[in-house]
Amino acid sequence: MNTIVSELSMNDLNSKFFDIIQNENNAEDAANFIFDSVCEDVTLGVLFEVHHGIKTGLTELLEGEKEDEEQFKIVNSPECDVFGFSILKKTPDANCSCPNCERPVSATRFAPHLEKCMGMGRNSSRIASRRIASNSREPTSYAGLPSDDEDDADWSGTLHSERRKRRMKSSNKRNSKIHKSNNGNHNSENNDGATYETMSANEKKNLLLQICGVVSEHTKKLCTRSTRCPQHSEEQRRALRNNVLEPSTPESQSMGLTADDAGSPPDSSPSSSCSSSSRKRDRHRAVPRTKNKREKLSPLNGRD
Amino acid sequence: MTVNNTIAHQRLILSGDRERFKELLRRRLIECGWRDQIRMVCREIVKEHDSNSITLDMLVARVTPRARALVPDPVKKELLQKIKTHLLTQKNL
Repeated sequence: MNTIVSELSMNDLNSKFFDIIQNENNAEDAANFIFDSVCEDVTLGVLFEVHHGIKTGLTELLEGEKEDEEQFKIVNSPECDVFGFSILKKTPDANCSCPNCERPVSATRFAPHLEKCMGMGRNSSRIASRRIASNSREPTSYAGLPSDDEDDADWSGTLHSERRKRRMKSSNKRNSKIHKSNNGNHNSENNDGATYETMSANEKKNLLLQICGVVSEHTKKLCTRSTRCPQHSEEQRRALRNNVLEPSTPESQSMGLTADDAGSPPDSSPSSSCSSSSRKRDRHRAVPRTKNKREKLSPLNGRD
Repeated sequence: MTVNNTIAHQRLILSGDRERFKELLRRRLIECGWRDQIRMVCREIVKEHDSNSITLDMLVARVTPRARALVPDPVKKELLQKIKTHLLTQKNL
């Protein structure tokens, strides 16, 4: 009973099989045996597949080229990042020198620095303009004006007035900044909208030398045209100059006096102020004259 | 009793039912991911050696024991049960 004889007929096999199967344990045994054999077959099938893949290069094609894993290993050390680059070391080229303050600034911080340094940016322009305003030689005479916006609305003397006006409406803040920064240059031009009360006597004078200056009834603003503007009569201008340059309040009177001392071209100053100043000059002259008279008189008296 | 087993096996092959069981097992093992596991094992072995020096015999020798251990229990039980009932139903014919 060692081997199955090959001549075993189908009939013999069947009868023997039925004999064996009578016993349930035998059946179980046979099932195990058959399973093992089947399992081995399946494994072999998979291995054939794999071997075929390796030998024909199919696996390599499917998996793609082998990559050098060393290159992509995650570095785990405190001084480096995951790619193995040092955190501490920075490239020397990363520093630019600021054209304004000549300080070395890292390239990544260059734009923000420029904003702060030169005042080109959004927020920092305020700071910068403030700095410029404080650095300018002429003191900003109108920094204390109560309403800058009114001021700006009529600022038509400058070349970029149109652009300015457009911006003006969108942001008054910004405008006031620009206004302040430019104050030194356009000293007498940009106070058209301001009322005369807020100006010093000198300013009024300078202003009135250049423009008509008659206050409009509708807009309550100053006329910015030349001193010979056709819209307002000579009468109106004279009246205004009388009013403005020789006000009744004592404070402004004193201011008017200082303005007189500073001196003004006679042709443009209003007639009344002209007369007043001439009177004063007369007074000044008058004093020494009397002295002279007395001196002249005194020797006479002595003779007498 | 290897002879008895061989007789049963032989008869199963003759009836063509072994092929059926084999196909069933293959499908079950693919379903449960066994085949992929085996492939990973093979890849590890291939990595250890040069791909030119790999032989099928070497793969069989190294993979088969692990492959049998990796067969999930439910699959094994199902197959055994089916084969056994098949054998027993044969008896009744």
